[in-house]
Amino acid sequence: MSAFLQATVYGLLQGGLLALVAVGFSLVWGVMNVVNLAHGSFVIMGAYLGWELQVHAGIDPLLGMFAAAAVMFVLGYAIQRWLINLVVNAPIFITLLLTFGLSLLIVQGMNIIFSANYRSISTGYASTSLSMGSVRVPLGRLIAFGIAVLVTVALVALVNRTRIGLAILATGMDRGAARLMGIPARHVYSLTFGLSAALAAIAGTMVGTVDTFSPAAAGSFTLLSFVIAVLGGLGNMYGALLGGLLIGLVESWAGLYLSGTWVNAMAFLVLVVVLVVRPSGLVGRAYYAARVEV
Amino acid sequence: MSTVTEAEPSFDRQATGSRLDWQRMLPWGLLALLMAAMLGLQSQLYIGQERTVTAIFMFVALAQAWNVIGGFTGYACFGQVVFFGIGGYATAVTMVHWHLSFWLALPLSGVGAALFGAVIGLPLLRLKGHYFAIATLGVAEGMREVVTNVPALTGGGAGITVPTVGEDATTAYLGNDGFYLLFLGIAALSLVVALVISRNRFGFALRAIHQDEDAAGAMGINTTRAKVLAFSISGMLTGLVGACYAFQQVVIFPDRLFDVELTVLMVVMVVIGGSGTVLGPLLGAVGLQYLSEYLRHSYTEAHTFILGAIIIVAVVFLPQGFVNYVREARRSGDYSLLANVRRYRL
Amino acid sequence: MSTPPVLETRGLTRRFGGLEAVADVSFSVPQGEILGVIGPNGAGKSTFINLVTGHVKPSSGTVLVHGKDMTGAKPWTLAQARVARTFQIVKPFRGMTVRENVAVGVLYGPNHAVTMARALVRADEVLDDVGLEGARDRGPAELSTADARRLELAKALALDPELLLLDEVMAGLRDNEIQPGLDLIRRLRDRGLTILVVEHVMKAIREVSDRVLVIHQGRVLTSGEPDEVLSDPRVIEAYLGKRYAERHEGESGA
Repeated sequence: MSAFLQATVYGLLQGGLLALVAVGFSLVWGVMNVVNLAHGSFVIMGAYLGWELQVHAGIDPLLGMFAAAAVMFVLGYAIQRWLINLVVNAPIFITLLLTFGLSLLIVQGMNIIFSANYRSISTGYASTSLSMGSVRVPLGRLIAFGIAVLVTVALVALVNRTRIGLAILATGMDRGAARLMGIPARHVYSLTFGLSAALAAIAGTMVGTVDTFSPAAAGSFTLLSFVIAVLGGLGNMYGALLGGLLIGLVESWAGLYLSGTWVNAMAFLVLVVVLVVRPSGLVGRAYYAARVEV
Repeated sequence: MSTVTEAEPSFDRQATGSRLDWQRMLPWGLLALLMAAMLGLQSQLYIGQERTVTAIFMFVALAQAWNVIGGFTGYACFGQVVFFGIGGYATAVTMVHWHLSFWLALPLSGVGAALFGAVIGLPLLRLKGHYFAIATLGVAEGMREVVTNVPALTGGGAGITVPTVGEDATTAYLGNDGFYLLFLGIAALSLVVALVISRNRFGFALRAIHQDEDAAGAMGINTTRAKVLAFSISGMLTGLVGACYAFQQVVIFPDRLFDVELTVLMVVMVVIGGSGTVLGPLLGAVGLQYLSEYLRHSYTEAHTFILGAIIIVAVVFLPQGFVNYVREARRSGDYSLLANVRRYRL
Repeated sequence: MSTPPVLETRGLTRRFGGLEAVADVSFSVPQGEILGVIGPNGAGKSTFINLVTGHVKPSSGTVLVHGKDMTGAKPWTLAQARVARTFQIVKPFRGMTVRENVAVGVLYGPNHAVTMARALVRADEVLDDVGLEGARDRGPAELSTADARRLELAKALALDPELLLLDEVMAGLRDNEIQPGLDLIRRLRDRGLTILVVEHVMKAIREVSDRVLVIHQGRVLTSGEPDEVLSDPRVIEAYLGKRYAERHEGESGA
């Protein structure tokens, strides 16, 4: 029983973090119908930025994540503005391939710069843990979880309450109409992608504080993002939070009861089942215009 | 919405009768000529070159297989490698546990992959666009874990060895020359299948589904049956290639047989060459695999990096693929690549 | 025994979430009739056609074609049963010529045992019929709005249908383009086709329909002779709102 409780707590904490990994991916997909296969590589890039700042400048990752986010925002903005915008109206093979090419480039670039070795961002609090009865709560994971939830809430507020956020929403719902209202779609798309990259960087820095990472993990973060975005309904940010928690729990429980690497298959199992049974996600209908295109 | 390039009057030729009969036969003639040339080429190659060309044959077959579901039917399968893995493991497992000859295991693997395609195709082909792409990707990743986690059957992560030497050998290893011919045969088979589909009723139905599935259904095409059949054929061809690959490699691992990068290579080759045509994926596979081998030798470390850059440049400047680009440019007289970029940009 | 109607629906209903897009629609179309279906935007007319042709599955109710239960049948099954339709937003095969577009229906429709050469010959006949013979080698993207609608109709006629469901084939056409369309519909009826015309253009409905069915908020509001139905105050109210209807009544009463 206590093992189950421990797994549940761990799963929830991990799930919050996964939600933060996925929320930017979901935003980009919902607003511009681009499945960004480079999203996982942005997460890992964020982790390396956090690591660099901590190792070479002694900056705590809780501060460093903001710097990493700023850098990734600029990079994300530029990638969308001068690259993805060029093919945003093309059939989906094209955007999938483009972002996959981008991912190859970034992952291999990181391999060359940082090597393929596993690293982690070590902090004083990561190894501390709180005891609540028989359940142990690692402080580092609790902090990462808290930040994940805060950032998701802040993102929802940003999107729903600010001019920029409303411009993003409007463009996502109907780009043509938004353009007629004087919203510059190119700029808004670039902002959205930049925002998504910044969120990935924060998530990456947090991943780095609680776990080891290497460039090779990029692919699995992209896939998890996809699973979570689908579970939550694309573009639905609270949905992403829910999807993240669910995947965290499923993986954690599976780790408790299943042997070997079956755990890795769980997320995909959930994905395929959900897609076949309930393609619009767990949380009702898609939040944005659900454009299903070929 | 998919943007399909301009009308291609393929059937008009047949309607106008014998006048253009030679044009109908031309691809078949060229294919036969190509095969003869490849057979002649073999004796001229060093061992290293022979291996390179063998690998090119393998990718010609894979690209053409993906073309059937992705190019003709318009369903972006991002888990195509699952058929490769199933074909490879079906061969290895039946050769090890049932002591089958490779020549029996090979067709069995093809049938197995085709059946698997039908079984997952029925639910998954109801999904469209990104959802289909990623659901198939999920199936491939999941299948890799399944294969990894039943070591009694598949050897698990430590791999499985195809019995080709010693007392257990069911079929002797073919050697470089043998595999050259084997993969040439598979490449020829996939080209023939693609060529037949591109010109018959079934291919016409697939094109209709690609261009507007609702309208295709309303005009009497059983879209479910056509899609599942296309997926099965595509899976069968991919499975056959996987079977040959397993035999060639002798020791196979789940991580290699279910490597997502293999899927992406198929997609890239088809898209860059020109999806939905027969010539495009052929050129894409030959060109990209040759380039890839060259990069691997010359820039070992940065090889993937350069490949990524090439993909990006290619999809931005040639989004409709090389063959379709040439076709349109010849019709309109406009060879500008910038016009291409303008087409899909925001 | 009398022959069953070509199309009959009983209690046809479709819910999307909490919304009843089509609610309890029952009616029948006898052989050789032109039935006009009208209703304000969002009344459920297109959903209704989609329910009949299998593009949307009904939540409840029955669809009978020639008395045979076709509820929830797939679109291609209905096409094989000689039920053809057009789409409100035209759906050409963009990579094919106009001629090939029509040939798809000849090849895969109820007469499917033909060669491709035969299919193209038959496609040409259909194109002559709708007045598109000059455009047969063009791509659909090069067609004008009116010609794109003609192609949509030609694709449906390629199935040699007995029942034709036309979803706003006149929308966006100029007045001088509507008349030839109406003539064509009448000609098709004279050949024995049964036709259901969903239309926004009132003039067209009044002129061509034998009977008119009004759908409002997913339900059948009324049905009957065109002139009678179109002057029914409930219909005017549904289209133009209560205040306009009252004023209209006041004026005509004065």
